[in-house]
Amino acid sequence: MNVKELELFVSNVLRVGVMISGVLIIIGLGLFMVTGDSCYPNGEASIDWIIYGDPFLSPSHILFMGFLVLVITPLLRVAASVLAYRAEKDWTYVAITGFVLTILVIGMVLGVG
Amino acid sequence: MTPQFILTAFIVALSSGFLGALLGLGGGVVMVPLLVFILDVPIHLAAGASIVAVVATSSVSASVYVRDEITNMRLGMFLEMATTLGAVTGASIMVGISESVLRIIFALSLLYAAVIMWYQMRNTGRSWLPMENDWMANKLNLGSDYYDSARDETIAYGVSRSLPTFIISYIAGVISGLLGIGGGGVKVPAMNVISSVPMKAAVATSNFMIGVTASASALVYIRNGFCDGFITAPVVLGTLIGSFIGAKVALRVRGVVLKRIFIIILLILGVRMLASGVGLL
Repeated sequence: MNVKELELFVSNVLRVGVMISGVLIIIGLGLFMVTGDSCYPNGEASIDWIIYGDPFLSPSHILFMGFLVLVITPLLRVAASVLAYRAEKDWTYVAITGFVLTILVIGMVLGVG
Repeated sequence: MTPQFILTAFIVALSSGFLGALLGLGGGVVMVPLLVFILDVPIHLAAGASIVAVVATSSVSASVYVRDEITNMRLGMFLEMATTLGAVTGASIMVGISESVLRIIFALSLLYAAVIMWYQMRNTGRSWLPMENDWMANKLNLGSDYYDSARDETIAYGVSRSLPTFIISYIAGVISGLLGIGGGGVKVPAMNVISSVPMKAAVATSNFMIGVTASASALVYIRNGFCDGFITAPVVLGTLIGSFIGAKVALRVRGVVLKRIFIIILLILGVRMLASGVGLL
């Protein structure tokens, strides 16, 4: 995959990511309005909870999956630019983009704060 | 959370997103205080909803402009090292800070935004002087060029004083994480005034960076329970639709009167936020 194809791919990933999350958010919000069910997790929303839900596919679970999809798409963009700079053998920028990606992933997995 | 609450949040987000896109400013800076004052939402939750909306609008605009030649990817990624670290710092500070302190900090940023907007309005058309790369920019190859279709010429530029801009980018990241806003109002003037990056390139590069920065903060907000689903959902949908309409209308509207009105709105919200933060209202 060359750099131009990669950029096109990233652009599509961003668009599809927003669409999927938009649909999830609309469904989640709609279900909530209809059922009146909330199931909002008290306090922290762990990544485990966002993936598995409790119960699975409750209105708020669908909502948060929508948020997670939305928030993760920029991560894919940074990951794609690591690959793009690697293809260009620009090692300084592989390191720089790799550093940014690392902070994002650490923030997601560990949840700082 | 009643349907009426959700509808109001949606309308607030719709109008903020519309205004933001119209004026080329993120909507978050207006939306957060409106949510706080109109819906009595704690400022932490308003910021949490806003930061997810910032990611959404940025992804939409990035998917359109990802192949534009104006964004300086290398400069963006270089500064992004500072902003993502700053965003995580800011979001972590937000978690432990009180409602009134956060209101005061937000008030100051509203007043700052008003000053910056006024300054930019007075200085439009001022000649911009290209400068050479400094040693770090030279080493990292930060300078770039782009084709300006309005002037029908290719504009080449170097990045001067890259270290101060790097440090300010860190602060921009802290503010973004702390307040749930994009922080373009800090980065763009730094790139343009300090590092002599042309305005168009500074704006495009800042837009590219905002999504990544906001996503770093948003993850911390979600993990710590500052993202209430039933505030965030209507806010994200409203902002998306509002900014989409705003971007379409922006092409047909002259900005000067609108900018004056917006500066006044920022001042009013800033003063009111400050008063509520110190306990006067």
